[in-house]
Amino acid sequence: MRRQRLFLLGLLSPVTLYLGVFFFGPLAIIAVFSVLEPGLYGGVEWNFYHWNYGRIFGWADGVVEWYEPVYLKILFRSMLMAAFTVIACLILVYPVTFWVSRLPQRAQLFFMFLITLPFFTSLIIRLYAWLVILKPSGLINDVLLGIGLIETPLDMLFTRFAVVLGMVYVMIPFMFLPVYSSVERLDRTLIEASGDLGARGWQTFLKVILPQTLPGIAGGSVLVFIPSVGNFIIPDVLGGAKGLMIGNLVEQQFLDARNWPFGAALSMVIMAVVLTVMLIYATKIVRAGQRIGEV
Amino acid sequence: MLFTKIVATSLTAIGLLAGAAQAEELRLYNWGDYINPEILAKFTEETGIEVGLDTYSSNEEMLAKIQAGATGYDIVFPSIHMVDIMLNLNLLAKTDINQAADWGNIDTDFLRAANDPNGDYCMPYGWGTVGIFYNREKSGGDITSWEEFFAIPGKTGNKITLLDDMREVLGIGLMATGASVNSTDPAEIKAATDWLIERKGDVSAFTYAFPGLFLSGDVAAGQFFVGLAGAITEDDNLQYVIPSEGATMYEEAMCVLESAPNKEAARKFMEFMLRPEISVMNTNQQFNGSVNVPARAMLADAIMMDPNINVPAATMTRLQMFEDLGKALKAYDRAWNTIRTAE
Repeated sequence: MRRQRLFLLGLLSPVTLYLGVFFFGPLAIIAVFSVLEPGLYGGVEWNFYHWNYGRIFGWADGVVEWYEPVYLKILFRSMLMAAFTVIACLILVYPVTFWVSRLPQRAQLFFMFLITLPFFTSLIIRLYAWLVILKPSGLINDVLLGIGLIETPLDMLFTRFAVVLGMVYVMIPFMFLPVYSSVERLDRTLIEASGDLGARGWQTFLKVILPQTLPGIAGGSVLVFIPSVGNFIIPDVLGGAKGLMIGNLVEQQFLDARNWPFGAALSMVIMAVVLTVMLIYATKIVRAGQRIGEV
Repeated sequence: MLFTKIVATSLTAIGLLAGAAQAEELRLYNWGDYINPEILAKFTEETGIEVGLDTYSSNEEMLAKIQAGATGYDIVFPSIHMVDIMLNLNLLAKTDINQAADWGNIDTDFLRAANDPNGDYCMPYGWGTVGIFYNREKSGGDITSWEEFFAIPGKTGNKITLLDDMREVLGIGLMATGASVNSTDPAEIKAATDWLIERKGDVSAFTYAFPGLFLSGDVAAGQFFVGLAGAITEDDNLQYVIPSEGATMYEEAMCVLESAPNKEAARKFMEFMLRPEISVMNTNQQFNGSVNVPARAMLADAIMMDPNINVPAATMTRLQMFEDLGKALKAYDRAWNTIRTAE
């Protein structure tokens, strides 16, 4: 027993150490910096300075720092965009997972390989490829003009449509994998039983299939939502940097405004949002999933 | 480009073999694509000193790395306002480069850093402008001002872009409303912000990806660095102009770091760059402005003949240079957020 415990400790200590140093370390630095005074040329002055949060939440007095509702508005907009991405990914992915789960084993493996294929190339390169595809003289317009479907090129690049397209494109694998794993484990005898007991198709879906795949849906939604909230590269490259997202705002504080503490404070706010989402996930949805499992 | 890099690297390698006994080296930390690689190869060939080159994409990035303790670099290429900051922070070494034999080649108008008015520390390196590139056909004729530039989408339905840079974009608003690009007057910043928000709907994007979209004809016009003019010399339809309201200019200096391990090699390289025939190699490849008076007589025709690149004195008065704003930078940050979130 003791030896087993030591063995376990040995196995767990590298990852604990790694997370401790490379995750909690930086996190602690961000937390501390967010309540310090910004240095003139970047960096920080070691004075307590709560105005970084005052700028966001409203107690900045307009003398030292200014309160502006724009920061919360940007945060809200980023969350909305992330939620929209989650829904779009789910609608696209959900039916496909059922189809894939019925393919022969080898075809399934091949499909999984295809889903992970985009990770072999850098995100930036893939986004610039989209820029080339979407531009007025790009691939889509060339084809549509060529077959005579449109007379003038469609205006797609640097629009909100392009941003959503890019977000969904990048995030789809994160939705697919968890949803697929729960759909694959779906107990088909239950579906048959539901039919035998006289349930209509939509009743079977709502009462049998959906609850059983809910953990996968919830897991995928969290995995898509979190990186989407802070994403700033996609709105920059495909949206033409016109709609400011919270991630852009953080980047700008470090690279343009030389205001590290304010950037850190904004990061803390993003983290609070993410933690809230995780808590809801952990308490509500996982428990709901367990309840269904018990029944 | 790749080829010249390979040549440069192999020449460096040969130089290394030849000078293996002393194994001197020099490490440059420069902006991306901001030095002609042939110059580095030539320097190695002549002196046997191996040259390493790392790059950065903003003054802030370079400063942050040096402040964080990055060592091993000898020469950096900060913009003028960053020279002042770095001197304040005691990051730069005194070189007495102004005692060099060829120092007289330098146009002393370009000694602009307040903290180094005589060139005791740094040496002027290169300068350029940020103006308007436009496609004559797609812009509905010639463009001469920012006002005309913003009117292109309304007139022709074609796209225009600006740089994704806080100070460059706000600079346009300030110049168009008759203020200095370094203004700290809240009323002037407000006027510039309003001027830009009024025109934001006509701007397709704030982006650095302009060159590709411009050359393919997808974007009619955009704000960009003069260096791109080197790619459009063959096409009369594509033009570069310094607008009548004004444009910003940038200037970088060569400075030796206090922490430089190879100060002697750094000094040799600075003296090498003072030579007109070397300096002109850089200007002709970079398509920007020269700080070397005798080199200006040797410029390639495409640069020499173009008043928007080889800027005459009358146009120089329309150019403004960014200064460090200190704490006032916050007002710009807030204005930039307002512009970017405006619907």
